Amino acid sequence: MKRVQILLATSAAAVAAGLWLAFTSPTDALQGEFSRILNLHAPFMWVAFLAFGLTALASIIWLFTKTPRWDRLGEASAELGVLFTVLGLFTGMVWGQAVWGRAWDWGDARMASTAVMLFVYIGYLALRRATPDPEMRARRSAILGAIAVVQVPLVYFSVYMFRTLHQTPSIRPDGASMPSEMLVALLVNFAAFTYLFVALLFARLEVARAEERLAADGALAGDSVKPPRLSEVKDV
Amino acid sequence: MSDQLIVIGTYVISYAAILGYAAHLHLRRRRAQD
Repeated sequence: MKRVQILLATSAAAVAAGLWLAFTSPTDALQGEFSRILNLHAPFMWVAFLAFGLTALASIIWLFTKTPRWDRLGEASAELGVLFTVLGLFTGMVWGQAVWGRAWDWGDARMASTAVMLFVYIGYLALRRATPDPEMRARRSAILGAIAVVQVPLVYFSVYMFRTLHQTPSIRPDGASMPSEMLVALLVNFAAFTYLFVALLFARLEVARAEERLAADGALAGDSVKPPRLSEVKDV
Repeated sequence: MSDQLIVIGTYVISYAAILGYAAHLHLRRRRAQD
């Protein structure tokens, strides 16, 4: 079994353990069954923050080293960040509809800033697709990846900066506002989805390497020769 | 719809999306290696 397959299989087992704990731990007195959704929502958003942070780190390292592996890491991590942001928003909307009576509110600082962050990272992936030259693609996306990360602290601290609908975190340095069984279930899910993120990241990097090899093998002699710019030709 | 069904549905959709992404990666890697 290859390293990536082992990682994926063990992370699936960790997620299964998280699922079992999520459905065997007690529910919140007011939220009822819907409190179980938070075992997905909070870890998904944490993984998204981690992914975008890693994209920024890889982008900055690429700007200094110009090594393709950092470009690949930035792209892989951003793609996963977008996936987990979408899932974080989806689970949050289901929970919000049930507990707040509203799935979405543009006036809420956390929701609006998360949506903007998602659109910017979809833009990051679109920018990569729109730039065929690998060097230029890496440079443009590294600059955007390094700048776009400012949204992560903005999204995280938005609940402290603006008193709108979304609540502040339930796990704080002075303790957690939930019984220990619920806290254990939540922390196991945080660990399991972080591990799953690492496994998927390695799987995505493997795809990027395989596709780069294929592109290099498929290159024909003369591919890099560009036609002359006729406007610059004076001596005909 | 009962609360439990909505919660289970949310879990199923979330896991299916992740599984779908993993399957998509598997197919892309196989296509690139064949």
